[in-house]
Amino acid sequence: MRSKFKWIFTLLLALSMQFSFAQEKTVTGVVSDKTGPLPGANVVVKGTKNSTQTDFDGKFTIKAKAGDVLEASFTGYSKKSVTVGAANSYNVVLSEGVELQEVVVVGYGTTTKEAYTGTATKIKVENIEAKTVSNVSQALRGEVAGVNVITGSGAPGADATIRIRGFGSINGNRSPLYVVDGAPYSSDISAINPEDIANITVLKDAAATSIYGSRGANGVILITTKQGKAGKSVVSVDVRTSVNSFRLPNYEVLTSPEEYIGLAWSELRQNAFLSGNPNPNAYASTNLFDSSNAIGLDPAYNMWDVPGDQVIDPATGQVASGVSRRYTPTSWKDTAFGTGLRSEANVQFSGGNDKTKYATSFGYLDDKGAAINSSYKRYTTRLNLESNVNDWFKIGGSISYSGGRYLQTDGADQATSVNLFSYTVGAPPIYDPYLRDASGNLVADPYFGGYQFDFGNGDNGNPVRRFLNNSNGIAEATLNKEQTDATTFLGNFNTDIKITDALHFETRYSGQYEMNEGLSVSNPFYGQNAGSDGALFLDNIKSTNQNFLQLLRFNKTFANKHRVEAFVAHESTEFRQDRLATGATGAVIPMAETLYQYTTLFGTPTHYKLGWTLESYFAQLNYNYQQKYFLTASARRDGSSRFINDKWGTFGSVGLGWVVSKESFLEKASFIDYLKLKASYGVIGDQGTAFQYGFRIYNITPLTGGILYAPNATRPNPNLTWETSKIAQVGFESSWFDRLNLDVDYYVKNTTNLFFDNALPPSSGYTNIQFNSGKLQNSGLEFDINYQVLKGDKPEAFKLAVGVNGEMLKSKMVDMPNDYITGEEKIFQFDPNTGLAALVKGHSLYEFYMREWVGVDPATGLGLYNLYYNDVNDDGVFNNGDVAISNYTDYLAKNPDANVEKTLTNNSSIATQKFTGKSAIPKVRGAFRINASYRNFDLTTQFGYSFGGYAYDNGYAQLMQTGDQIGSNNYHVDIRNRWQQPGDITNVPRMSAGLTTEDTYSSAQSTRFLIKSDYIAFNNARLGYTLAKSYTDRLGLSKLNVYISGDNLALFSARKGFNPQTFTSTSGIGGYIPMTTFSFGARVEF
Amino acid sequence: MKKSLVYLLIATSFLGVGCSEDFLNPVRDTRVLTGEEVAAAAELNPGIVQGGLDGLYNFVIEPGGVVGTGRHYDLGQKGVDIWLDMLSSDMALSSNSYGWYQNVANLISPVDFTRQENTIIWTYYYKVISTSNEIINQLGGNDAVPASTETRHIYAQAKALRAYAYFYLAQIFQRTNDLSQPILPYYVGDENDNLAKVPASQIYALIESDLLQSIDLLSDYTRPTKDKIDPWVAKGLLAYTYAAQGNYAQAKVTSEDIINNSGYTLTTRGQLAFPGAGSGFNDVNTPSWMWGFDLTEELGHQLVDWWGQIDYFTYSYAWAGDRKSIDTGLLAAIPTGDIRRTQFGTSGTTNRMPINKFFDPARVAGQQYIITTDLIFMRFDEFYLLSAEASAKTGDEATAKNRLKDLMTIRFAGGAAAADAYVDPLSGQALKDAIYLNTRIEMWGEGKSYLAMKRNEATVTRGTNHVFRSGQSFAFDSDEMSFQIPQSEILNNPAITGQN
Repeated sequence: MRSKFKWIFTLLLALSMQFSFAQEKTVTGVVSDKTGPLPGANVVVKGTKNSTQTDFDGKFTIKAKAGDVLEASFTGYSKKSVTVGAANSYNVVLSEGVELQEVVVVGYGTTTKEAYTGTATKIKVENIEAKTVSNVSQALRGEVAGVNVITGSGAPGADATIRIRGFGSINGNRSPLYVVDGAPYSSDISAINPEDIANITVLKDAAATSIYGSRGANGVILITTKQGKAGKSVVSVDVRTSVNSFRLPNYEVLTSPEEYIGLAWSELRQNAFLSGNPNPNAYASTNLFDSSNAIGLDPAYNMWDVPGDQVIDPATGQVASGVSRRYTPTSWKDTAFGTGLRSEANVQFSGGNDKTKYATSFGYLDDKGAAINSSYKRYTTRLNLESNVNDWFKIGGSISYSGGRYLQTDGADQATSVNLFSYTVGAPPIYDPYLRDASGNLVADPYFGGYQFDFGNGDNGNPVRRFLNNSNGIAEATLNKEQTDATTFLGNFNTDIKITDALHFETRYSGQYEMNEGLSVSNPFYGQNAGSDGALFLDNIKSTNQNFLQLLRFNKTFANKHRVEAFVAHESTEFRQDRLATGATGAVIPMAETLYQYTTLFGTPTHYKLGWTLESYFAQLNYNYQQKYFLTASARRDGSSRFINDKWGTFGSVGLGWVVSKESFLEKASFIDYLKLKASYGVIGDQGTAFQYGFRIYNITPLTGGILYAPNATRPNPNLTWETSKIAQVGFESSWFDRLNLDVDYYVKNTTNLFFDNALPPSSGYTNIQFNSGKLQNSGLEFDINYQVLKGDKPEAFKLAVGVNGEMLKSKMVDMPNDYITGEEKIFQFDPNTGLAALVKGHSLYEFYMREWVGVDPATGLGLYNLYYNDVNDDGVFNNGDVAISNYTDYLAKNPDANVEKTLTNNSSIATQKFTGKSAIPKVRGAFRINASYRNFDLTTQFGYSFGGYAYDNGYAQLMQTGDQIGSNNYHVDIRNRWQQPGDITNVPRMSAGLTTEDTYSSAQSTRFLIKSDYIAFNNARLGYTLAKSYTDRLGLSKLNVYISGDNLALFSARKGFNPQTFTSTSGIGGYIPMTTFSFGARVEF
Repeated sequence: MKKSLVYLLIATSFLGVGCSEDFLNPVRDTRVLTGEEVAAAAELNPGIVQGGLDGLYNFVIEPGGVVGTGRHYDLGQKGVDIWLDMLSSDMALSSNSYGWYQNVANLISPVDFTRQENTIIWTYYYKVISTSNEIINQLGGNDAVPASTETRHIYAQAKALRAYAYFYLAQIFQRTNDLSQPILPYYVGDENDNLAKVPASQIYALIESDLLQSIDLLSDYTRPTKDKIDPWVAKGLLAYTYAAQGNYAQAKVTSEDIINNSGYTLTTRGQLAFPGAGSGFNDVNTPSWMWGFDLTEELGHQLVDWWGQIDYFTYSYAWAGDRKSIDTGLLAAIPTGDIRRTQFGTSGTTNRMPINKFFDPARVAGQQYIITTDLIFMRFDEFYLLSAEASAKTGDEATAKNRLKDLMTIRFAGGAAAADAYVDPLSGQALKDAIYLNTRIEMWGEGKSYLAMKRNEATVTRGTNHVFRSGQSFAFDSDEMSFQIPQSEILNNPAITGQN
């Protein structure tokens, strides 16, 4: 009976199948979003392999039967289903609201935001496009919580320094890994045209980065370039014109020659007064312009119409009445700075059909800096291609070329005598950048036209300037040439073979070739190479980076509930560099650029090769149950050529995710739209940056006619190996009330086996040994909040959204490395990354360690410092037998029973170096955005902020240097508050033209120059207007957007000119300061 | 078809992938040799061992050898010479713009152990010592004497260089001349190494024995170039070593040995000052030069060099505004008619600068870019002065006067008669003072006046042309007159807790 029933049932089933089959029909429809049809959207009959894509007009045609569910999907939109009924046409409107299904590019694959257990932050392309930057690294500023972008140089095309989640290493590597289209990238970051970028994802935690093994310890920045979309051919043209200028505040310095010379005179008078000279006024007046001794200025710099000793009225200390200028010195700033025009144009063409997609682009950029003659120019082109050759074989490739030219930007972040930024703030206003003859007239330049610059070198009877003699940064930038041509070729080839439905084999070859041709030409008439008839230096660096990947991927869903995605892979990377540099003097033709045009080889040519390799085996498992519970596990084994004995390291991670909002108990909680909890733990390595570690190294002095080599100062340690970071993270991603998104991560990163440069006593003949010891902890809370204040249902309604992200980072030396000599934990070591901080157990990285400034002694005007001493005789007075403590921490560790007392001293050199309790690491740092749109207008803004940190304002310290001779540097306006007579209460010491050593001590490095590094920066704003569709249609366009934007608009910090976005712990003067850029642009698509 | 293509592709993709160990041993950095490479090459090429010694000689003059070429006062021995000349105050920093020497000229570095100058000096000499020890150990250790002539000479020079470095350390880091004071850690590359300070006497004993052995082992050595240490250079160092310990008898014997037997000749009147024939103190082939370094175009020294600090005619700081001049007091003390007065500029920018003693032969301001003027370490004349000093201090005034006259005859316009007139009236302390004064005048800018100040336990007084601290006086044993054991040593060496 039972079997009979079964038979009948089977028959029925067979019949019914027959019946259904006969009913399959052709269904058509249009997939669209709120703006119109969506080409290239996927339409699939749920539960089958039957699928299609929409065409250019968003139309699709598919065979289905009644009762089937059609599911339409498109990247960046949430899926939508319709059930097929009697009708033959179905239109689907997709909405963008929820991005959970958004595809996220992660290590060696893609996933969705929902499924990902690690922290991957996708940066919105429109946020990058809103910024006018020539280098992608600059565009990351403020976009991601925990990513600190330090703009060390504001020069056109310059890279920013990127630190993800603090400072993971002390002596190892701190830089993130860039991955472009799947391949680790080690070429010029500027070679990537930001316009070619489809998206950028930043990976931060171990679950996300451990698949990159030894290269992911400091975070990974994944860049994917634009690809075409099937069925939609698009040509888009972008043009942008910008004006660069220096508008952020700079240090307030003295600008009046009269004020400066009055100050110089008062210094001399103070000097004479303190030395007991009976007539200080006369001394000051006589010596002011008298270069016959080491006191006064060269009389040629007397720009007034009376002899030097009559310039100042002793009664007032000011320039005497009736004295007028013979000439007005040209402003260094006005000469060096102006406005630079930035022009950018990009043309992109993309499209494809269901088999083949392509995208190609051409980009042009000419970014002229606001400092004279500085610029970056770039041409880029790219072709991306991918094709489904047949149903089991996919092939893809891309090729790109970039030719960039940097002009006068070399060393733009450094203060040198040839860098014009050293002059614009530092030059005393009495000096003119141009030469003046005896009667104060400018001197014509017979070689270049215009006027001769003043090198202040005393040659040919010219005057001797006491500030950066023999040099003139503006002349260098004007008359000489510093140029680097960076040519980059990138090629990518990849295949994907379907072995079975579940199993794919993928390969990728990526080759990068970069040529950097440095050229420096000095003119034969003026400046440093005038004596050698001009000079040429060439420095060519060729780099290749090859990367080969084989990957076997398994992908299957079991019982509709268990989804497994896994892969095993092998990857090898080889980096090679070849560098050739030479120089010549004696130009046959002035400013010639090839060796043939010079007479004499200069010095010794150098040529060398560098290289490293890395081989890796790795695997990953992704599992989820019902799209609710997620597990990711990765393991990677890396072999590095940088080590000797212990080349291989094994790393891995586990990540867990739980979409709580999918649980039934939360389904009724309508205020929670989405909530995912996640946790991860992983171990990642770091291989440092040197080409070889642990070897006994001898440095060769080449081409001297004999063999010459000398030992390196690093003591060899052949067992040196990987530094290991153990990163634990918990966090959640959530959406509330349909308008609030809140993502929070908390992590603890313990870096152990620190790759530590243990300082050795120099008497051993070695300065350091590198070994693995010690433990550093970085922990942080990161948050990203987005709130749609006004949602406005209709497209033209007023919408307002605010977002804020930030990190609260803490760093601590948990265990100091063991001392190589004693074998015990090291007590104290100066931080190699900044001599102003120390590494001591329990203290933060970047906690300043220095002498304590107390103030200015009202009686003498000299600086006062704390001197701690061991009061051996216990009389409360620092006297014979007592021991001055120079290094507080080290001394107390070694003399725990010391009877510490404190006194004051003018002598900074014996004052005590001590922890200040102030760290360069802020309490909280991040960015916030306010975005709005109304009708066809949209506005985006971004602000950066930082609170709770400190910095050493070295730029200010240089401008407050009070122990120097007159005329040797310019001063911050705070110098007006200097101590002038006994009883003056001030924080600025006396100025006495370097009378005593104590005057020099008054400006010594100390807590006097520590300052809060809090800031709020208005980084970027963009206002756009999109032409209404009715108009664009009439013009035959699909889109037209015009906009104005501004970058680096304002900065509010503790002191004008002090810009904490440009350094980690110490400011400076002399580097290329960030430019403010105003832009106007348009984007047309057709 | 599909299957075979799949296999083919998979197979091809593994080609060109280094799975072998070779893949992880690429060309890493061709600028350096590794210990393994040196050892392997040494078997094939004996020149490699010589290369280690030559590398050490090169280190003696290497720009940025200790802390890198970014520090423009890190110049090896000649860089130390400038600091010593400034400490002794004979060399005045008379204008300061770029600031490289302000902390020594202002006598801050000698009292502040955090300053880099201390680190550079200390590290420089100890690096010479450790490299010497390495060479000595390569050739069998402290007690072995290599069999082959070639390696014996290398060994002997390594010992002499070790002695040279200890000698300077003892001079620079000890305030007094107390032989019993523990002053320096002791490294000889074997089990006798001592991280703690050992007494000066033990250091001097090592210096003496190293030099004596070196002199012995080098007896059949003819050096290829003057930068190498031959027996006469070693004897010169030995004479200084005796004198520094107060052993003037031996100092005199050794100095006289050099004077009578070395075959060098005294600097001529022409060579002493421009425009004399052979003047300029810039040529290692000058017959009075016993030890010096031939700077060549290939070595490529530029601004970061002794000449880049001192010579007005080089593209230098001296030209650019950081002027180094003779102290006004010392200049005034040069006897009239003495050719050495004309070694210094007399007006304008170059007033009191040594433009007629040290100069690039082209004599165009700021012109010499790649430096090919040579560096001087030791010259014959020194030992006349040292012999005179030793003789005077051992009571042999006759010899002392004769040696002084030998020099002054050449220097005085009036020749022997003027020399007699100058020297003959001297005796006792006046004679010693005159010898010391002439050592300062004669050796101006050569790094030796500091050693004389220490030996003579003198007090120096600055003239009026110093930017810093002009007019002030400093006794030889004051804190300011010696450098400090650097903080980096005190922090990292558990056996040293304080200064000397």
